[in-house]
Amino acid sequence: MAGLAGPALALDHDNLDPNRPIGLEDAYAIPKGEIGLEGGVRFNDRREGRTHVTFQPQIIYGAFANAQIEMQGDLFTDPQSLVGANKSGDLHLGLLYNFNTETLNLPALAVRVEADFPTGVNSKGVDTQLTGILTRSFGRLRVHLNGGYTILGSPQGQERPGTYRAVAAVSYPLGYPGWFRDTLIVSLYTRQSDRQGQRNHTGVEIGLRHQLTSRVVLDGGLGTEFMGPSERAALLGTVGVSVGF
Amino acid sequence: MPITTIIRSLALVTSAAIAFSSAGCGQFEPRDKRFYYRALWNFSLREDLAELDSEFNGVDFGHSNLYENLLLTGGRDVPAIEERARKETLAFIASKPRLNPNEEAIAPTYMKLAWRAQNTFDEAHALHRATYDIAVSDEPDKDRAIRNVLAYYKDSAYAITSKLLDHRRLDGFPYSKTFRQRFPLFNATIWSYHYLQVAVYDPLLAAPDLPAKTQAVRPILATYRRYLDVPPVDWTFMPLTAELSPQFAARYPELAHIFDNLHMLHDNISDILASERLPTWESKRAEIYRLVNTYYLAAADATNPMILSTEGAHHH
Repeated sequence: MAGLAGPALALDHDNLDPNRPIGLEDAYAIPKGEIGLEGGVRFNDRREGRTHVTFQPQIIYGAFANAQIEMQGDLFTDPQSLVGANKSGDLHLGLLYNFNTETLNLPALAVRVEADFPTGVNSKGVDTQLTGILTRSFGRLRVHLNGGYTILGSPQGQERPGTYRAVAAVSYPLGYPGWFRDTLIVSLYTRQSDRQGQRNHTGVEIGLRHQLTSRVVLDGGLGTEFMGPSERAALLGTVGVSVGF
Repeated sequence: MPITTIIRSLALVTSAAIAFSSAGCGQFEPRDKRFYYRALWNFSLREDLAELDSEFNGVDFGHSNLYENLLLTGGRDVPAIEERARKETLAFIASKPRLNPNEEAIAPTYMKLAWRAQNTFDEAHALHRATYDIAVSDEPDKDRAIRNVLAYYKDSAYAITSKLLDHRRLDGFPYSKTFRQRFPLFNATIWSYHYLQVAVYDPLLAAPDLPAKTQAVRPILATYRRYLDVPPVDWTFMPLTAELSPQFAARYPELAHIFDNLHMLHDNISDILASERLPTWESKRAEIYRLVNTYYLAAADATNPMILSTEGAHHH
Protein backbone atom coordinates (compact mmCIF):
# COMPACT_ATOMS: atom_id res chain seq x y z
CA MET A 1 0.00 0.00 0.00
CA ALA A 2 1.27 3.41 -0.80
CA GLY A 3 0.61 6.77 0.66
CA LEU A 4 -1.13 8.28 -2.27
CA ALA A 5 -4.08 9.24 -0.21
CA GLY A 6 -5.24 12.84 -0.11
CA PRO A 7 -5.83 14.38 3.27
CA ALA A 8 -9.48 13.38 3.37
CA LEU A 9 -9.12 9.65 2.84
CA ALA A 10 -7.93 7.08 5.35
CA LEU A 11 -7.07 4.56 2.69
CA ASP A 12 -6.43 5.00 -0.98
CA HIS A 13 -7.35 2.54 -3.70
CA ASP A 14 -4.29 3.64 -5.69
CA ASN A 15 -2.05 2.20 -2.98
CA LEU A 16 -0.98 -1.32 -3.78
CA ASP A 17 -0.28 -4.15 -1.36
CA PRO A 18 0.59 -7.79 -1.95
CA ASN A 19 -2.59 -9.88 -2.30
CA ARG A 20 -4.87 -6.86 -2.34
CA PRO A 21 -5.92 -8.15 -4.76
CA ILE A 22 -2.88 -9.53 -6.63
CA GLY A 23 0.68 -10.45 -5.74
CA LEU A 24 2.28 -7.08 -6.24
CA GLU A 25 3.65 -4.22 -4.15
CA ASP A 26 4.31 -0.61 -5.06
CA ALA A 27 7.19 1.42 -3.67
CA TYR A 28 5.24 3.57 -1.20
CA ALA A 29 4.54 2.92 2.45
CA ILE A 30 1.33 4.05 4.10
CA PRO A 31 1.47 7.45 5.81
CA LYS A 32 3.19 7.64 9.16
CA GLY A 33 0.65 6.92 11.89
CA GLU A 34 -1.93 5.17 9.72
CA ILE A 35 -3.35 1.78 10.73
CA GLY A 36 -4.90 -0.57 8.21
CA LEU A 37 -6.83 -3.77 8.77
CA GLU A 38 -6.98 -5.96 5.69
CA GLY A 39 -8.57 -9.26 4.91
CA GLY A 40 -9.32 -11.38 1.91
CA VAL A 41 -10.19 -14.78 0.58
CA ARG A 42 -8.13 -16.28 -2.23
CA PHE A 43 -8.84 -19.48 -4.09
CA ASN A 44 -6.37 -21.40 -6.19
CA ASP A 45 -8.05 -23.88 -8.52
CA ARG A 46 -5.08 -26.06 -9.49
CA ARG A 47 -4.69 -28.10 -12.65
CA GLU A 48 -3.82 -31.12 -10.48
CA GLY A 49 -4.70 -31.52 -6.83
CA ARG A 50 -7.36 -30.00 -4.65
CA THR A 51 -8.37 -26.38 -4.75
CA HIS A 52 -6.74 -24.31 -2.04
CA VAL A 53 -8.64 -21.52 -0.29
CA THR A 54 -6.66 -19.01 1.73
CA PHE A 55 -7.87 -16.54 4.33
CA GLN A 56 -5.56 -13.54 4.52
CA PRO A 57 -5.92 -11.36 7.64
CA GLN A 58 -3.31 -8.60 7.93
CA ILE A 59 -2.52 -5.54 10.02
CA ILE A 60 -0.32 -2.78 8.68
CA TYR A 61 0.96 0.23 10.55
CA GLY A 62 2.82 3.31 9.38
CA ALA A 63 5.22 3.07 12.28
CA PHE A 64 7.88 5.48 11.04
CA ALA A 65 8.30 8.02 8.28
CA ASN A 66 8.24 6.19 4.94
CA ALA A 67 8.05 2.79 6.63
CA GLN A 68 5.28 0.37 7.39
CA ILE A 69 5.31 -2.75 9.46
CA GLU A 70 3.00 -5.65 8.71
CA MET A 71 1.71 -8.66 10.59
CA GLN A 72 -0.07 -11.39 8.71
CA GLY A 73 -1.10 -15.01 9.20
CA ASP A 74 -2.51 -16.82 6.17
CA LEU A 75 -4.83 -19.73 6.87
CA PHE A 76 -5.19 -22.39 4.17
CA THR A 77 -7.63 -25.18 3.60
CA ASP A 78 -5.87 -28.55 3.20
CA PRO A 79 -2.83 -27.30 5.15
CA GLN A 80 -1.02 -30.66 5.17
CA SER A 81 -0.43 -30.51 1.41
CA LEU A 82 1.45 -27.21 1.34
CA VAL A 83 5.07 -26.88 0.26
CA GLY A 84 7.27 -23.80 0.23
CA ALA A 85 7.75 -20.93 2.62
CA ASN A 86 4.18 -19.91 3.33
CA LYS A 87 2.58 -22.55 5.56
CA SER A 88 -0.90 -22.30 7.03
CA GLY A 89 -0.81 -20.43 10.32
CA ASP A 90 2.72 -19.08 10.00
CA LEU A 91 3.25 -15.72 11.64
CA HIS A 92 4.44 -13.33 8.98
CA LEU A 93 6.17 -10.08 9.91
CA GLY A 94 7.31 -7.57 7.34
CA LEU A 95 8.86 -4.14 6.99
CA LEU A 96 8.52 -1.99 3.88
CA TYR A 97 10.84 0.99 3.64
CA ASN A 98 10.43 3.58 0.89
CA PHE A 99 13.64 5.42 0.06
CA ASN A 100 12.24 8.27 -2.02
CA THR A 101 9.25 9.69 -3.77
CA GLU A 102 9.17 9.59 -7.55
CA THR A 103 10.52 12.68 -9.28
CA LEU A 104 11.00 13.68 -12.90
CA ASN A 105 14.37 11.89 -12.97
CA LEU A 106 14.00 9.13 -10.42
CA PRO A 107 11.57 6.30 -9.86
CA ALA A 108 10.35 5.55 -6.37
CA LEU A 109 12.45 2.82 -4.75
CA ALA A 110 11.73 0.62 -1.77
CA VAL A 111 12.87 -2.52 -0.03
CA ARG A 112 10.77 -5.08 1.80
CA VAL A 113 12.17 -7.43 4.44
CA GLU A 114 9.98 -10.26 5.65
CA ALA A 115 10.18 -13.22 8.00
CA ASP A 116 7.83 -16.19 8.39
CA PHE A 117 7.96 -17.76 11.82
CA PRO A 118 7.14 -21.48 12.08
CA THR A 119 3.90 -21.19 14.04
CA GLY A 120 1.91 -23.00 11.35
CA VAL A 121 1.10 -26.53 10.28
CA ASN A 122 4.16 -28.62 9.28
CA SER A 123 6.31 -25.50 9.45
CA LYS A 124 9.96 -25.55 10.46
CA GLY A 125 12.59 -22.88 10.58
CA VAL A 126 12.32 -19.15 10.03
CA ASP A 127 11.95 -18.21 6.37
CA THR A 128 13.22 -14.83 5.25
CA GLN A 129 12.57 -12.77 2.16
CA LEU A 130 14.14 -9.68 0.66
CA THR A 131 12.37 -7.77 -2.15
CA GLY A 132 13.40 -4.73 -4.14
CA ILE A 133 10.56 -2.56 -5.45
CA LEU A 134 10.49 0.14 -8.11
CA THR A 135 7.57 2.33 -9.18
CA ARG A 136 7.71 4.64 -12.18
CA SER A 137 4.81 6.55 -13.71
CA PHE A 138 4.23 7.53 -17.30
CA GLY A 139 1.37 9.96 -17.25
CA ARG A 140 -1.32 8.24 -15.20
CA LEU A 141 0.05 4.78 -15.95
CA ARG A 142 2.24 3.46 -13.14
CA VAL A 143 4.73 0.68 -13.74
CA HIS A 144 5.87 -1.49 -10.85
CA LEU A 145 8.75 -3.97 -10.70
CA ASN A 146 9.26 -6.36 -7.81
CA GLY A 147 12.21 -8.73 -7.49
CA GLY A 148 12.59 -10.90 -4.42
CA TYR A 149 14.44 -13.85 -2.97
CA THR A 150 13.16 -16.16 -0.24
CA ILE A 151 15.43 -18.33 1.89
CA LEU A 152 13.81 -21.23 3.72
CA GLY A 153 15.10 -21.75 7.23
CA SER A 154 14.56 -25.47 7.18
CA PRO A 155 13.62 -26.91 3.79
CA GLN A 156 11.82 -30.23 3.96
CA GLY A 157 11.89 -33.09 1.45
CA GLN A 158 12.25 -31.79 -2.08
CA GLU A 159 11.68 -28.14 -1.12
CA ARG A 160 14.15 -25.70 -2.60
CA PRO A 161 16.32 -23.93 0.00
CA GLY A 162 15.67 -20.65 -1.76
CA THR A 163 13.41 -19.27 -4.48
CA TYR A 164 13.33 -16.09 -6.49
CA ARG A 165 10.29 -14.19 -7.70
CA ALA A 166 9.88 -11.40 -10.24
CA VAL A 167 6.79 -9.33 -11.03
CA ALA A 168 6.16 -6.64 -13.61
CA ALA A 169 2.88 -4.78 -13.39
CA VAL A 170 0.99 -1.69 -14.40
CA SER A 171 -1.75 0.16 -12.57
CA TYR A 172 -4.08 2.78 -13.97
CA PRO A 173 -6.76 4.96 -12.36
CA LEU A 174 -10.02 4.52 -14.24
CA GLY A 175 -12.41 7.34 -15.02
CA TYR A 176 -10.31 10.54 -15.27
CA PRO A 177 -11.39 13.36 -15.26
CA GLY A 178 -14.77 12.59 -13.76
CA TRP A 179 -14.25 9.58 -11.49
CA PHE A 180 -11.41 8.69 -9.12
CA ARG A 181 -12.50 5.62 -7.20
CA ASP A 182 -11.19 2.66 -9.22
CA THR A 183 -7.72 1.44 -10.06
CA LEU A 184 -6.99 -1.36 -12.52
CA ILE A 185 -3.90 -3.51 -12.00
CA VAL A 186 -2.39 -6.06 -14.39
CA SER A 187 0.69 -8.13 -13.58
CA LEU A 188 2.93 -10.74 -15.16
CA TYR A 189 4.99 -12.84 -12.78
CA THR A 190 7.34 -15.75 -12.58
CA ARG A 191 8.58 -17.52 -9.48
CA GLN A 192 10.65 -20.59 -8.88
CA SER A 193 8.68 -23.70 -8.03
CA ASP A 194 8.68 -24.75 -4.40
CA ARG A 195 10.06 -28.22 -5.27
CA GLN A 196 13.39 -28.80 -6.91
CA GLY A 197 13.45 -29.95 -10.53
CA GLN A 198 10.20 -28.26 -11.52
CA ARG A 199 9.60 -25.35 -13.87
CA ASN A 200 8.83 -21.82 -12.74
CA HIS A 201 5.25 -20.83 -12.03
CA THR A 202 4.55 -18.13 -14.61
CA GLY A 203 1.24 -16.35 -14.85
CA VAL A 204 -0.84 -13.22 -15.23
CA GLU A 205 -3.23 -11.53 -12.85
CA ILE A 206 -5.71 -8.69 -13.21
CA GLY A 207 -7.31 -6.84 -10.33
CA LEU A 208 -9.44 -3.88 -9.39
CA ARG A 209 -9.35 -1.74 -6.25
CA HIS A 210 -12.44 0.32 -5.48
CA GLN A 211 -12.66 3.16 -2.98
CA LEU A 212 -15.99 2.49 -1.28
CA THR A 213 -15.83 5.14 1.46
CA SER A 214 -13.19 7.36 3.03
CA ARG A 215 -12.02 4.45 5.14
CA VAL A 216 -12.85 1.33 3.07
CA VAL A 217 -11.35 -0.11 -0.10
CA LEU A 218 -12.71 -3.23 -1.79
CA ASP A 219 -10.64 -5.37 -4.12
CA GLY A 220 -11.08 -8.29 -6.45
CA GLY A 221 -8.77 -10.13 -8.82
CA LEU A 222 -8.40 -13.07 -11.20
CA GLY A 223 -5.38 -14.84 -12.61
CA THR A 224 -3.98 -17.94 -14.20
CA GLU A 225 -0.60 -19.65 -14.52
CA PHE A 226 0.17 -20.61 -18.09
CA MET A 227 3.52 -22.27 -17.38
CA GLY A 228 4.81 -24.29 -14.46
CA PRO A 229 4.53 -27.63 -12.71
CA SER A 230 1.49 -29.83 -13.09
CA GLU A 231 -0.15 -28.47 -9.92
CA ARG A 232 0.07 -24.86 -11.12
CA ALA A 233 -2.99 -22.65 -10.89
CA ALA A 234 -5.65 -22.96 -13.54
CA LEU A 235 -7.62 -20.09 -12.01
CA LEU A 236 -6.79 -17.75 -9.16
CA GLY A 237 -9.36 -15.49 -7.58
CA THR A 238 -9.32 -13.01 -4.74
CA VAL A 239 -11.80 -10.75 -3.00
CA GLY A 240 -10.86 -8.55 -0.10
CA VAL A 241 -11.47 -5.47 1.96
CA SER A 242 -9.16 -2.93 3.60
CA VAL A 243 -10.17 -0.57 6.39
CA GLY A 244 -8.00 2.37 7.42
CA PHE A 245 -8.17 4.51 10.52
CA MET B 1 20.44 -21.09 -7.43
CA PRO B 2 24.15 -21.10 -6.42
CA ILE B 3 25.07 -18.58 -3.76
CA THR B 4 27.67 -16.97 -6.03
CA THR B 5 24.98 -16.28 -8.61
CA ILE B 6 22.77 -14.71 -5.96
CA ILE B 7 25.61 -12.49 -4.72
CA ARG B 8 26.51 -11.52 -8.27
CA SER B 9 22.88 -10.65 -9.02
CA LEU B 10 22.51 -8.59 -5.86
CA ALA B 11 25.74 -6.74 -6.62
CA LEU B 12 24.50 -5.98 -10.11
CA VAL B 13 21.16 -4.70 -8.85
CA THR B 14 22.84 -2.62 -6.14
CA SER B 15 25.28 -1.09 -8.61
CA ALA B 16 22.47 -0.26 -11.00
CA ALA B 17 20.44 1.32 -8.21
CA ILE B 18 23.40 3.42 -7.05
CA ALA B 19 24.17 4.55 -10.59
CA PHE B 20 20.51 5.34 -11.16
CA SER B 21 20.24 7.30 -7.94
CA SER B 22 23.45 9.20 -8.58
CA ALA B 23 22.18 10.28 -11.98
CA GLY B 24 19.19 11.95 -10.39
CA CYS B 25 20.46 12.63 -6.88
CA GLY B 26 19.51 16.29 -7.18
CA GLN B 27 15.92 15.15 -7.11
CA PHE B 28 16.26 12.47 -4.44
CA GLU B 29 13.69 13.43 -1.86
CA PRO B 30 11.68 11.61 0.79
CA ARG B 31 7.97 11.10 0.46
CA ASP B 32 7.18 11.79 4.13
CA LYS B 33 3.43 11.28 4.05
CA ARG B 34 1.84 11.67 7.44
CA PHE B 35 -1.58 10.46 8.54
CA TYR B 36 -4.11 13.05 9.61
CA TYR B 37 -4.82 13.77 13.27
CA ARG B 38 -6.93 10.85 14.48
CA ALA B 39 -10.06 11.82 16.43
CA LEU B 40 -13.71 10.94 16.88
CA TRP B 41 -14.71 13.95 14.81
CA ASN B 42 -12.83 12.75 11.71
CA PHE B 43 -15.10 12.94 8.62
CA SER B 44 -17.88 14.79 10.46
CA LEU B 45 -18.25 17.20 7.57
CA ARG B 46 -18.50 14.34 5.05
CA GLU B 47 -21.01 12.44 7.12
CA ASP B 48 -23.15 15.32 8.42
CA LEU B 49 -22.86 18.14 5.92
CA ALA B 50 -22.19 16.42 2.61
CA GLU B 51 -23.55 19.39 0.71
CA LEU B 52 -20.49 21.41 1.71
CA ASP B 53 -18.03 18.50 1.75
CA SER B 54 -18.70 17.64 -1.89
CA GLU B 55 -17.82 21.21 -2.88
CA PHE B 56 -14.45 20.88 -1.17
CA ASN B 57 -13.90 17.56 -2.92
CA GLY B 58 -14.45 19.41 -6.17
CA VAL B 59 -12.03 22.12 -5.11
CA ASP B 60 -9.32 19.49 -4.57
CA PHE B 61 -9.54 18.67 -8.26
CA GLY B 62 -9.18 22.28 -9.36
CA HIS B 63 -5.70 23.17 -8.18
CA SER B 64 -4.10 19.91 -9.30
CA ASN B 65 -5.80 19.99 -12.67
CA LEU B 66 -4.64 23.56 -13.16
CA TYR B 67 -1.02 22.85 -12.24
CA GLU B 68 -0.81 19.79 -14.48
CA ASN B 69 -2.26 21.68 -17.42
CA LEU B 70 -0.08 24.74 -16.88
CA LEU B 71 2.99 22.51 -16.77
CA LEU B 72 2.14 20.47 -19.83
CA THR B 73 1.08 23.45 -21.97
CA GLY B 74 3.96 25.72 -20.95
CA GLY B 75 1.55 28.21 -19.40
CA ARG B 76 0.84 29.95 -22.70
CA ASP B 77 -2.15 28.12 -24.14
CA VAL B 78 -5.11 30.26 -23.09
CA PRO B 79 -7.90 28.03 -24.50
CA ALA B 80 -6.32 24.94 -22.91
CA ILE B 81 -6.50 26.58 -19.47
CA GLU B 82 -9.48 28.92 -19.61
CA GLU B 83 -11.73 26.64 -21.60
CA ARG B 84 -10.69 22.99 -21.37
CA ALA B 85 -9.06 22.73 -17.93
CA ARG B 86 -11.43 25.17 -16.26
CA LYS B 87 -14.48 23.44 -17.67
CA GLU B 88 -13.15 20.03 -16.62
CA THR B 89 -12.90 21.46 -13.13
CA LEU B 90 -16.40 22.92 -13.22
CA ALA B 91 -17.76 19.61 -14.51
CA PHE B 92 -16.08 17.73 -11.68
CA ILE B 93 -17.43 20.18 -9.10
CA ALA B 94 -20.91 19.86 -10.63
CA SER B 95 -20.73 16.06 -10.22
CA LYS B 96 -20.82 16.64 -6.43
CA PRO B 97 -18.23 13.96 -5.65
CA ARG B 98 -18.80 12.13 -2.38
CA LEU B 99 -15.06 11.52 -1.93
CA ASN B 100 -12.08 13.69 -2.66
CA PRO B 101 -10.10 12.64 -5.73
CA ASN B 102 -6.59 11.27 -5.69
CA GLU B 103 -4.59 14.32 -6.74
CA GLU B 104 -1.66 12.22 -7.96
CA ALA B 105 -3.97 10.76 -10.59
CA ILE B 106 -4.96 14.28 -11.66
CA ALA B 107 -1.48 15.80 -11.78
CA PRO B 108 1.11 13.03 -12.10
CA THR B 109 3.68 15.29 -13.75
CA TYR B 110 3.34 18.16 -11.31
CA MET B 111 3.63 15.78 -8.36
CA LYS B 112 6.95 14.53 -9.72
CA LEU B 113 8.11 18.11 -10.31
CA ALA B 114 7.37 19.55 -6.88
CA TRP B 115 6.46 16.85 -4.35
CA ARG B 116 7.78 18.89 -1.42
CA ALA B 117 5.35 21.69 -2.24
CA GLN B 118 2.52 19.22 -2.74
CA ASN B 119 3.16 17.57 0.61
CA THR B 120 3.11 21.05 2.15
CA PHE B 121 -0.31 21.59 0.56
CA ASP B 122 -1.56 18.18 1.65
CA GLU B 123 -0.75 18.81 5.30
CA ALA B 124 -2.35 22.26 5.25
CA HIS B 125 -5.41 20.88 3.45
CA ALA B 126 -5.68 18.19 6.13
CA LEU B 127 -5.66 20.98 8.72
CA HIS B 128 -8.42 22.77 6.78
CA ARG B 129 -10.47 19.55 6.74
CA ALA B 130 -9.88 18.97 10.42
CA THR B 131 -11.13 22.42 11.36
CA TYR B 132 -14.30 21.94 9.31
CA ASP B 133 -14.85 18.55 10.94
CA ILE B 134 -14.47 20.08 14.39
CA ALA B 135 -16.79 22.96 13.54
CA VAL B 136 -19.51 20.61 12.27
CA SER B 137 -19.12 17.91 14.93
CA ASP B 138 -20.74 17.76 18.33
CA GLU B 139 -17.31 17.99 19.95
CA PRO B 140 -18.05 19.84 23.21
CA ASP B 141 -14.68 21.58 23.55
CA LYS B 142 -13.94 22.88 20.09
CA ASP B 143 -11.18 25.20 21.29
CA ARG B 144 -9.27 22.31 22.79
CA ALA B 145 -9.79 20.16 19.70
CA ILE B 146 -8.51 22.95 17.49
CA ARG B 147 -5.51 23.54 19.75
CA ASN B 148 -4.66 19.85 19.54
CA VAL B 149 -4.95 19.61 15.78
CA LEU B 150 -2.96 22.82 15.35
CA ALA B 151 -0.20 21.48 17.59
CA TYR B 152 -0.14 18.26 15.54
CA TYR B 153 0.12 20.30 12.35
CA LYS B 154 2.90 22.52 13.68
CA ASP B 155 4.86 19.42 14.63
CA SER B 156 5.33 18.61 10.94
CA ALA B 157 8.44 19.59 8.99
CA TYR B 158 6.03 20.58 6.22
CA ALA B 159 3.98 23.00 8.34
CA ILE B 160 3.37 26.41 6.81
CA THR B 161 4.25 29.26 9.13
CA SER B 162 1.49 30.47 11.43
CA LYS B 163 2.97 33.96 11.34
CA LEU B 164 1.40 36.80 9.41
CA LEU B 165 3.25 37.10 6.10
CA ASP B 166 3.55 40.15 3.88
CA HIS B 167 1.35 38.98 1.03
CA ARG B 168 1.91 42.15 -0.93
CA ARG B 169 5.64 41.45 -1.10
CA LEU B 170 4.97 37.79 -1.78
CA ASP B 171 2.90 38.96 -4.73
CA GLY B 172 5.70 41.19 -5.97
CA PHE B 173 8.19 38.79 -7.56
CA PRO B 174 9.15 39.43 -11.19
CA TYR B 175 6.81 36.68 -12.37
CA SER B 176 3.95 37.55 -10.00
CA LYS B 177 0.47 38.14 -11.44
CA THR B 178 1.36 36.31 -14.66
CA PHE B 179 -1.34 33.74 -14.07
CA ARG B 180 -4.16 36.13 -13.21
CA GLN B 181 -3.34 38.42 -16.13
CA ARG B 182 -3.19 35.64 -18.70
CA PHE B 183 -5.93 33.42 -17.30
CA PRO B 184 -8.36 35.74 -15.49
CA LEU B 185 -11.30 33.33 -15.57
CA PHE B 186 -9.45 30.41 -14.00
CA ASN B 187 -7.75 32.71 -11.50
CA ALA B 188 -11.11 34.09 -10.40
CA THR B 189 -12.36 30.50 -10.13
CA ILE B 190 -9.44 29.65 -7.85
CA TRP B 191 -10.14 32.70 -5.71
CA SER B 192 -13.78 31.64 -5.56
CA TYR B 193 -12.63 28.32 -4.03
CA HIS B 194 -10.64 30.25 -1.49
CA TYR B 195 -13.68 32.40 -0.77
CA LEU B 196 -15.70 29.28 0.01
CA GLN B 197 -12.93 27.75 2.12
CA VAL B 198 -12.63 30.71 4.47
CA ALA B 199 -16.13 32.24 4.36
CA VAL B 200 -17.84 29.23 5.95
CA TYR B 201 -15.91 29.35 9.23
CA ASP B 202 -17.88 32.06 11.01
CA PRO B 203 -21.33 30.72 10.12
CA LEU B 204 -20.33 27.15 11.00
CA LEU B 205 -18.94 28.10 14.39
CA ALA B 206 -21.79 30.49 15.23
CA ALA B 207 -24.63 28.09 14.44
CA PRO B 208 -25.63 26.05 17.50
CA ASP B 209 -26.53 22.74 15.89
CA LEU B 210 -26.32 20.79 12.67
CA PRO B 211 -29.60 22.01 11.12
CA ALA B 212 -28.56 25.58 11.84
CA LYS B 213 -25.09 24.98 10.40
CA THR B 214 -26.62 23.49 7.26
CA GLN B 215 -28.84 26.55 6.85
CA ALA B 216 -26.01 28.94 7.68
CA VAL B 217 -23.70 27.79 4.90
CA ARG B 218 -26.35 27.77 2.17
CA PRO B 219 -26.10 31.48 1.32
CA ILE B 220 -22.33 31.09 1.04
CA LEU B 221 -22.72 28.06 -1.20
CA ALA B 222 -25.18 30.02 -3.35
CA THR B 223 -22.70 32.90 -3.67
CA TYR B 224 -19.88 30.48 -4.46
CA ARG B 225 -21.90 28.82 -7.20
CA ARG B 226 -22.65 32.22 -8.69
CA TYR B 227 -18.92 32.91 -8.73
CA LEU B 228 -18.35 29.65 -10.59
CA ASP B 229 -20.95 30.68 -13.18
CA VAL B 230 -19.64 34.22 -13.46
CA PRO B 231 -16.07 34.34 -12.14
CA PRO B 232 -15.33 37.52 -10.15
CA VAL B 233 -12.61 38.83 -12.47
CA ASP B 234 -12.79 42.28 -10.90
CA TRP B 235 -11.17 41.05 -7.68
CA THR B 236 -7.61 42.30 -7.38
CA PHE B 237 -6.42 40.05 -4.58
CA MET B 238 -7.26 36.68 -3.09
CA PRO B 239 -9.92 36.50 -0.36
CA LEU B 240 -8.52 36.77 3.17
CA THR B 241 -9.76 34.92 6.22
CA ALA B 242 -9.97 37.99 8.44
CA GLU B 243 -12.20 39.74 5.91
CA LEU B 244 -14.63 36.86 5.39
CA SER B 245 -14.59 35.16 8.79
CA PRO B 246 -13.40 37.88 11.18
CA GLN B 247 -14.53 36.09 14.34
CA PHE B 248 -12.69 32.92 13.37
CA ALA B 249 -9.58 34.93 12.50
CA ALA B 250 -9.71 36.75 15.83
CA ARG B 251 -10.26 33.57 17.81
CA TYR B 252 -7.71 31.46 15.91
CA PRO B 253 -5.21 33.90 14.37
CA GLU B 254 -2.59 31.22 13.73
CA LEU B 255 -5.06 29.19 11.67
CA ALA B 256 -6.12 32.25 9.72
CA HIS B 257 -2.51 33.05 8.91
CA ILE B 258 -1.76 29.48 7.86
CA PHE B 259 -4.74 29.37 5.50
CA ASP B 260 -3.98 32.77 3.99
CA ASN B 261 -0.34 31.80 3.54
CA LEU B 262 -1.44 28.53 1.96
CA HIS B 263 -3.62 30.38 -0.54
CA MET B 264 -0.83 32.83 -1.29
CA LEU B 265 1.51 29.93 -2.01
CA HIS B 266 -1.08 28.53 -4.41
CA ASP B 267 -1.03 31.86 -6.26
CA ASN B 268 2.77 31.93 -6.31
CA ILE B 269 2.96 28.48 -7.83
CA SER B 270 0.36 29.31 -10.47
CA ASP B 271 2.50 32.31 -11.44
CA ILE B 272 5.70 30.28 -11.54
CA LEU B 273 4.14 27.60 -13.73
CA ALA B 274 2.70 30.22 -16.09
CA SER B 275 5.74 32.47 -16.36
CA GLU B 276 8.22 32.49 -19.26
CA ARG B 277 10.78 34.02 -16.92
CA LEU B 278 11.27 30.50 -15.60
CA PRO B 279 11.42 28.67 -18.92
CA THR B 280 12.40 25.15 -17.88
CA TRP B 281 10.76 22.65 -15.56
CA GLU B 282 13.97 22.57 -13.54
CA SER B 283 13.94 26.35 -13.07
CA LYS B 284 10.28 26.26 -12.05
CA ARG B 285 10.99 23.50 -9.55
CA ALA B 286 13.94 25.40 -8.11
CA GLU B 287 11.88 28.56 -7.64
CA ILE B 288 8.94 26.72 -6.07
CA TYR B 289 11.30 25.06 -3.60
CA ARG B 290 13.07 28.34 -2.90
CA LEU B 291 9.79 30.02 -1.99
CA VAL B 292 8.55 27.09 0.10
CA ASN B 293 11.80 26.72 2.00
CA THR B 294 12.55 30.42 2.47
CA TYR B 295 9.19 32.10 2.94
CA TYR B 296 6.50 29.57 3.76
CA LEU B 297 7.67 26.72 5.96
CA ALA B 298 7.56 27.36 9.69
CA ALA B 299 11.05 25.92 9.87
CA ALA B 300 12.26 29.17 8.26
CA ASP B 301 10.56 31.49 10.77
CA ALA B 302 13.82 32.64 12.35
CA THR B 303 15.13 34.03 9.08
CA ASN B 304 11.97 34.67 7.07
CA PRO B 305 12.00 38.29 5.83
CA MET B 306 8.33 38.11 4.85
CA ILE B 307 7.04 37.83 8.42
CA LEU B 308 5.25 40.99 9.49
CA SER B 309 6.00 42.06 13.02
CA THR B 310 2.54 43.40 13.87
CA GLU B 311 -0.99 42.64 12.80
CA GLY B 312 -1.53 46.29 11.91
CA ALA B 313 1.16 46.16 9.28
CA HIS B 314 -0.92 43.77 7.19
CA HIS B 315 -3.22 45.42 4.69
CA HIS B 316 -4.37 45.05 1.15
